[in-house]
Parts: sequence; structure tokens; C-alpha cells
Amino acid sequence: MELIPILSTIILVATISTFILAIGAYILYKVRERKGERVSAPQPSSVQAELVTPIEVPATQPAYTEPQPIFVQQPGQPGYTPQPKQYAGQEKRKVYIPVTEEDLKASGSKFLKYTSEGYVPTQENKNTGALRWR
Amino acid sequence: MNLNQKIKRTPILLENSEDFKKEENPGRKYARRILISGLLSLFLILVIIFTLPKTVLSVSSLIEYATIVALVIFLFILLVRYFGILIMAYLYLNEYTFKSKNGFYPFVSIIVPVYNEEKVVAESVRSLLELDYPNYEIIIVNDGSTDNTKKVAETLVGYQKGRHNQIKVSLIDKPNGGKSRALNAGIRYSKAEFVLCMDGDSQLNEDSLKLAVRHFNNPEIGAVAGNVKVMNRGKFFTDLQALEYIEGLNMARSAQSFIKLVNIIPGPIGLFRKKAIEESGLYSSDTFAEDADLTLKILANGWKIYYEPNSISYTEAPAKLQQLMKQRYRWTRGIIQSIRKHKKLMINPTINFGDTLILWSMFYEALIWPAMNIAANVFFITAALVFGFTQLIFFWWAGLALLDLITALYCVAAEKEEFRLVLYAVIYRMFFILIIDVCKMMSTIEEFLGIRMTWGKLERVGTARV
Repeated sequence: MELIPILSTIILVATISTFILAIGAYILYKVRERKGERVSAPQPSSVQAELVTPIEVPATQPAYTEPQPIFVQQPGQPGYTPQPKQYAGQEKRKVYIPVTEEDLKASGSKFLKYTSEGYVPTQENKNTGALRWR
Repeated sequence: MNLNQKIKRTPILLENSEDFKKEENPGRKYARRILISGLLSLFLILVIIFTLPKTVLSVSSLIEYATIVALVIFLFILLVRYFGILIMAYLYLNEYTFKSKNGFYPFVSIIVPVYNEEKVVAESVRSLLELDYPNYEIIIVNDGSTDNTKKVAETLVGYQKGRHNQIKVSLIDKPNGGKSRALNAGIRYSKAEFVLCMDGDSQLNEDSLKLAVRHFNNPEIGAVAGNVKVMNRGKFFTDLQALEYIEGLNMARSAQSFIKLVNIIPGPIGLFRKKAIEESGLYSSDTFAEDADLTLKILANGWKIYYEPNSISYTEAPAKLQQLMKQRYRWTRGIIQSIRKHKKLMINPTINFGDTLILWSMFYEALIWPAMNIAANVFFITAALVFGFTQLIFFWWAGLALLDLITALYCVAAEKEEFRLVLYAVIYRMFFILIIDVCKMMSTIEEFLGIRMTWGKLERVGTARV
């Protein structure tokens, strides 16, 4: 026998049974409800009630503070990134001192390099072996 | 917990009135309703009688075609509803952020209304003391319980040790007047800017309050709905309800939250801006779904409502079919009452378009959808028994089960829930939802006929602990 007709019959029987069960349960519920039915009295505009509160006031407790996030410092790394230095004012401007020939001779260099601090003698050490861009 | 502390008893006079509209004579109202529906039915019959001879089709062919057209429409609506909700829920979860707004810890009053909850009230308060929030108080409102609830609640009164500091626990003991009046008593007594309303048997998870409060940074938000989960799992009906809460309720709430128009702030967890709740006239007891009614009132006042999926409240679900029927009967009638109460907003979209949209979706879910589901099942049963098309019902079930399986899988993954619940999707629609829909249909008919109903208290086992 094929599967679909069997399943169809099962579902058909189950659906009819569910219908009967639902209607039966509903009727039973109504019958039971009717037995315990009582008419609610109209409510007055105000009622006498009792308020029960604690007498003791708790000792002063610390105000709630939001839990702060905990940062764990990674090994081998500095803590927080230091804040940028703020301008403190009164910072003296460097005075430009011209480079003389004596200075050049003393440094042992033929050339001067222009930097933010003026002309400075170049000091190249070709024996370091460091990679240089040309 | 430090039980039996020294307490002070103060008699107070509680305001108990509500803003009610004067109801007309109920007998006349229902007679008019039956007369109008009778006239409409007569009109339909006359239309059929006059138009039938003019058609070229026979009566049996007409019924056949009408059924096919109805089924196609039903399938279309089903798919649009499913995928609409799924896409909106997905978009909401995508934009949802866990980013906390540090330093925003306003004072919150947690109101716990209790009626015959002696078995569960202590556990509820214990869960509240474990909340990860520094600035709150607990107000228990005993609504004239007839068991030992008052005694148990009195032992809890005092300054209890919370997670961050001492938490004040107070008790208001009032005569029985219903859940809405009990909540109103607590809200009136509270001095806080925000109030969290919950059920006496619910337990909150530790982050519930902290995560819900942060949304109030937005001044447009009037309330935040939490996520309700079933606590007492492991039984057949409670497992099915656990899946229903995830797949049926929370997914829909996520979708509604995408447009910040959540239509029901659930009773087990709802955080409100007190100003919004006061503007809406507090809870009303003229409907059996006071939470739905208040939500609609808040929305009508122009406030937005958000859903916080990580504010979780665990609640005890009915484990027996009888109890489940009782709960759903009350929910359905309550929702219909709320819709009828706000029918002006439903009819006129110019007053508040968001409200109109929400009311129509509620109307569809509460009335149209159950009727359509029952009609489809009746059709397949008839087709199998009368015409011998037995295989149709199989393909119908297979299609729905596949759709439910995919949805359940998505929802369970999104909420990081138990995977075993996905397997219940196979019988979810054909068994569980059919029972619920039969109950909804009967409740709708009873509400239409104006049959009197009582609130009905669910039995609490009180053994569950999160």
C-alpha cells in the first residue's frame, strides 16, 4: 500500500478527532464555569485598604556606581597610548646660527643639509650597511 | 531574604473609580445586534436566490468554484501574513541593538498584583530582588485573596537585600476588585516616573528591567513590552504553548515593534512611562483584556510602544486543556471587547492611522483568521468524507507543517530557544491551533450574543522555578 493514502487517513482521523476534542472541551468548560458562576458586586468609588510598609530604614548605603571596564596590559607593550603633549606657551624659538667654514672643516663634510634647524653638516657613515633610498 | 521584619500598618482610602462610558441597556443592544445580522443574512439569501437562475453554472459547480476561489484567497492571505510578519520581524531584529545607555537608571516601581497566589508570590519577589538594576522598589497589591497570600506577602515586607542595594518591599491590602483595580492601586501609590506591571505568578530574568528602561531615553516611547516565555515546560500542552509564545506571539510583536506599534503589552511584563499611563486613564475593568485595552489607549494618545526581546518574564502556562480553554476564552472575548471599545479609531483612519492599522490586524487575528482556518479544515474533511478526495487533506497538512517548521526554526534560532520545540511544529497547526481557533470562534459567538462571563482564575501549581 502506498504511503500517502495511509498518511491522509491518519491526518483525516486526527483532524476530525481534534474537532470533536475541541468542541467537547469547550462544552465541558462552559458546564464547569456555570456551576461556579457568581455575579460581581458593583464597585464603590473608593475602598478602605491597608498599607503595609517597613519601619526600619536601611543604613546609608553607597551610591551605585557604574562598573568601570577593566583593561589588562599586554606583556611587552606600553600601557595606554600617551596623550599628546599640550602646548605650554612661552616656548622659545630656536635662534638660527649660520654655519661657518670652520664648522664645516671640523665636521669633515663637504656638504650641508637643510633642515628645520637650518643648514647642518651631513654625516654619512657608509660602513653601517643600512639600506638607503636614493 | 530577610523575612518578618518590623512593619507599619496604615489604613488608607483608595480611589477605586474608573472612567466608564455609560452603557446602554444591554438587552436592547443585543436585540439590535441580532436584528441587524438577521437582516444582513436575509439580504444575502435574497441575492443568492435572485442571481442563481441567471448563472450558467449548476449549483454544485458554483459551490465547487466558490470553494476553490475561497481556498486560493485563504492561501494567499496565509502566505502574505506569514512572510509579512517574518520579514518585519527580521528587519526589527537586524536594527535591534544591545548597546546600553549607561547612567540612565531612573527610579522604577514594580507592581505585583496578587490574588490567591500563596504558592508563587515569594518566588516572584525573589526573582525581582535578583534584578540587575540599582534603583527600584516592589509594591505587592493583594486583591482580597481568600487564601494565605496576605500572610505570605506580609513576611516579605521590609528592606530586602537586592543585587546592588536594599530594596523596599511594600504591601497594599485591598478588597477584591479585579486585576485592573489592583494595578491601579499600585500605580496611584507609586511615586516613580516609570512603573513595571507584572503578574503575581511571573518571574523576571535579571536583565529585564535594565534592558527595558533604556528605551525610555526616547521621549516618544510610552511603554515597553517584554518577552513572555513559558516556565513550566516538559508537558505536552505547555511545550506547545512555549512554541506558540515564540512563533505566534513574540514574532508578531517583533514585527509590530519595527513600526513601534506593539498592540498588546503582555500582562506578565510591561514597563510604562507613568505619564503615558495616567494620560490614558489607567487600567479599565470594562474588558477582560485590560492589557490590550490599555495598550490601545496609550497608542491612541500618540505614544509609541517598543518590544524588548531580552526583557524576559517567565510565566506558568495552563497544563490542562480545560485551563487552556478558560484562558483563551477570556483572551478572545477581552480582545473583541477592546476592539469594540475603540471602534471609532478602527473606522476612521484620520484620527490615528497607526491605531487603525493595529486594530484591523487585531480584528483579523481574533475573528477572521480562526473562522478561515476552521472553514478550510471543514472543507477538507467534507472533501474527503463526501467526495472521496482523501489525499487533499494530506497535502494541505504537509504544506502548513512545512511552513510552520521553517518559521519555528527561524524563531527558535532568533531567540536561542530549545531546539526540541521545533518538532512540535508538525502538529502545531493541525492540532493545537485548531483547538484554539474553535475556542476563539465559540468565544466570538458568545461575545456577539452577549452571554455573561466571569474572569476565571487559573490554578497555579507553583512548583516551577527559573
